[in-house]
Amino acid sequence: MSSSRVRAITGLSALVFVTLAVPAVIPLANARHAGPPLPPTYLPALEGPRERAPFSADRVPDLQRLQPGYVVIGDSMAGTRLDDRRLVELTGVPVGPLLQAGSGPAFWYLALKNWVIASGIRPRMVLIFFRDANLTDVLFRLDDQFRWALDLAALDREDELNAVVARRLGLLHRVHQLVDRVVGAEQARRKIEPAVNAWPVTVMTSSRRRQAEFVAQMNERLGLDHLRKMEAADIQAGDAPAFDFARDVPDSVLPLMLRDASRAGLTICFVRVQRRPTANRPPPQSPALRRYVSALQAYVTARGALFHDDTGDPALTIDMYEDGDHLARHARRRYTENLYNRLRPHFQ
Amino acid sequence: MIFHSLDFLAFFVAFVAIYWALPQRGQNVLLFVGSYFFYGYVHPWFLILIATSTVIDYCAARGMEAWPRHRRRFLWLSVISNFGMLGFFKYFNFFVENVAGVLAAFGLTVHEPTLRILLPVGISFYTFQAMSYTIDVYRGELHARRSLLDLAVFVSFFPHLVAGPIQRASFLLPQVESTRRFSAEKARSGFVLICWGFFKKLVIADNVGVVANKVFALSDPTFYILWAGVFAFAIQIYADFSAYTDIARGTSRWLGFELTENFAHPYLARSPTDFWRRWNISLSSWFRDYVYIPLGGSRGGAWLWARNILATFLLSGLWHGASWNYVLWGLYHGLLLLVTQLAGRWTVPGRQVGKWVLLPQIAAMFVLTNIGWLLFRETELAAIVRDLRLSPLGVSELDRQTGLYLFLLAFLYSVPLWIQSLWAETASANQAASDPERAALAPMPRLVLQGVACGLALAAILVLRSRTSLDFIYFQF
Repeated sequence: MSSSRVRAITGLSALVFVTLAVPAVIPLANARHAGPPLPPTYLPALEGPRERAPFSADRVPDLQRLQPGYVVIGDSMAGTRLDDRRLVELTGVPVGPLLQAGSGPAFWYLALKNWVIASGIRPRMVLIFFRDANLTDVLFRLDDQFRWALDLAALDREDELNAVVARRLGLLHRVHQLVDRVVGAEQARRKIEPAVNAWPVTVMTSSRRRQAEFVAQMNERLGLDHLRKMEAADIQAGDAPAFDFARDVPDSVLPLMLRDASRAGLTICFVRVQRRPTANRPPPQSPALRRYVSALQAYVTARGALFHDDTGDPALTIDMYEDGDHLARHARRRYTENLYNRLRPHFQ
Repeated sequence: MIFHSLDFLAFFVAFVAIYWALPQRGQNVLLFVGSYFFYGYVHPWFLILIATSTVIDYCAARGMEAWPRHRRRFLWLSVISNFGMLGFFKYFNFFVENVAGVLAAFGLTVHEPTLRILLPVGISFYTFQAMSYTIDVYRGELHARRSLLDLAVFVSFFPHLVAGPIQRASFLLPQVESTRRFSAEKARSGFVLICWGFFKKLVIADNVGVVANKVFALSDPTFYILWAGVFAFAIQIYADFSAYTDIARGTSRWLGFELTENFAHPYLARSPTDFWRRWNISLSSWFRDYVYIPLGGSRGGAWLWARNILATFLLSGLWHGASWNYVLWGLYHGLLLLVTQLAGRWTVPGRQVGKWVLLPQIAAMFVLTNIGWLLFRETELAAIVRDLRLSPLGVSELDRQTGLYLFLLAFLYSVPLWIQSLWAETASANQAASDPERAALAPMPRLVLQGVACGLALAAILVLRSRTSLDFIYFQF
């Protein structure tokens, strides 16, 4: 081997070595600026220790007091559809809505387990609203921005949920997590990220009080109320890149929901909402999505749950929709009456 | 498969290890299989399109040489099939919606047959690349290849398949056909490019992308907020697209290939002409060589020249997406070019411009580029009109400060980008840094310094990468 080639290979090796060695500074920096220890997370497969919002334990006595005949779990798909007062009128029994905007199946599972089942109530039916393939995508709305909502329904340990998440993330993600932990990236991030985001404010004003006021006002200015309607509707949230029920169901919370409900003697009714119609026709569905929904229906009904699909219901017309897949306020009563009629045998 | 995923990292490491253990023919087979695996990783049906395009272009080029009298027919076969596929998948809905809109204006309501399928990623890139092969064969500048495998590797070469840079057959095909040797120097410079590319994508583009997305999601932006968002988008699109190019070039070097540069610090451009010499160079030169010059270029008088410029830029805009805002963006840049070229004709020829003019020229061009980015990013025409009418006067203190905050945040993330651009433009030592042969002879301290820079980029990726992972913007084109 020529000397220039040896030098080139040595250079390449040195470059790679130094590149990989530099991040080793991060744990040292972390050690110098160590803060108080953080509590462990209930989702170690997904994240490191962090401050979390407390579990909303009040829901349990609330449900015990209310003794609802029907419990509704879901996100804004349920929130913008169901008129719970009207449902109370129609059924003649109390209704317990456990709704959380921007929630996903992990939240719905925890709400069922930690609130409904933990309260010991025996509603006639627990309605869980979802879009297309959301039920079997445990990672749907599990990002940082939605984690605070999940905290409300999560106990200190959620081993089964964590196991599902770990399976869904796969080996490569775990490698990623490992690297993150070895170099203490998440710990450093918790210090650096707020500092970077705060830098512009410190340039603008030196008063800490005014900085805090400004950040609060700015967050409101850029908040949900100021978003374009279709953006606020989060319409892509229901889209899935590929539909394959058999592949997805083992790594989802759906089997846990069905098992826990069955043990507690509860009947779950999964309600698939109709997404926004196009030109007053039901939204087009790919053959893969149709196969997915058929498989989902067969799966849940075989395990004692009910399944209702709004898609294709001629009563659910475009005039009922506001933004994206959300229904307008004026349509909620109509929707509730329609759902009641469609599921009448189960509401009695 | 996307570059910024561990799937790709695992794939690439395994790929390189096997690749260099094979002879040239085996390497090409592996490149073909690997590229198709890379492209069909999420949606295998995409492979039907790229394979069809490759086979048709192979046959068309072979036909041109076998039956020279029918060359034109074979060219049309290639053009119609390639643009037919591109048109169907990319422009069908746009066409139908607009026809329905025109008919509705005349009181005719029609049932719109909308296509509910995904746009195959990278279709615009590989279609143009494949077209360059058949057009060059038609022109007699290239001979038709006998090996379908080599052509398939040229069309599907995975490092740049999804978002370019678009390579000419005359540049890439000879590399596919020749014997390649592992070069530690190339691998080293490729490694630096890959680190810099990942840093630009994950730290700069994705973080400023959050700012831009936030602003463009607002229903009621005001002047300062809007233009802070446009600035953020300007940084995002450059960091994002040039990151893809850098990673593509870096990974190619590990495989013994060289891809052409696609960016030359475009935000330091001093005029629209200068900008287009620096921005998406491979696409600009494609349009220049296969549209502008065949249309007549600057020959035939001012009107024909203006027509050719506008037609080229309109098509370039439409290439980016099936939406009127892209057409507007193309038109805007065409007009900018016309206006500045005409203005240039009125100045005294050969007059030297003082250095003090440089900064205002760069700043003015950056502002003009940002107006273009507003047209590019804002997909609703009504919102474009609204945005362009926003006034800096009468804006509330909160909105003014919010705009300043967003601008400063985007600027902070973009600082490495500006430093790199300024350094590359001004430092003469840059020549050595970008030349692998000379840089390979650089002393160890320089390599260590490069290693530290790459290490810092890696540390920043670990600590500062955006929590919102965004796709490369140019995937959608």
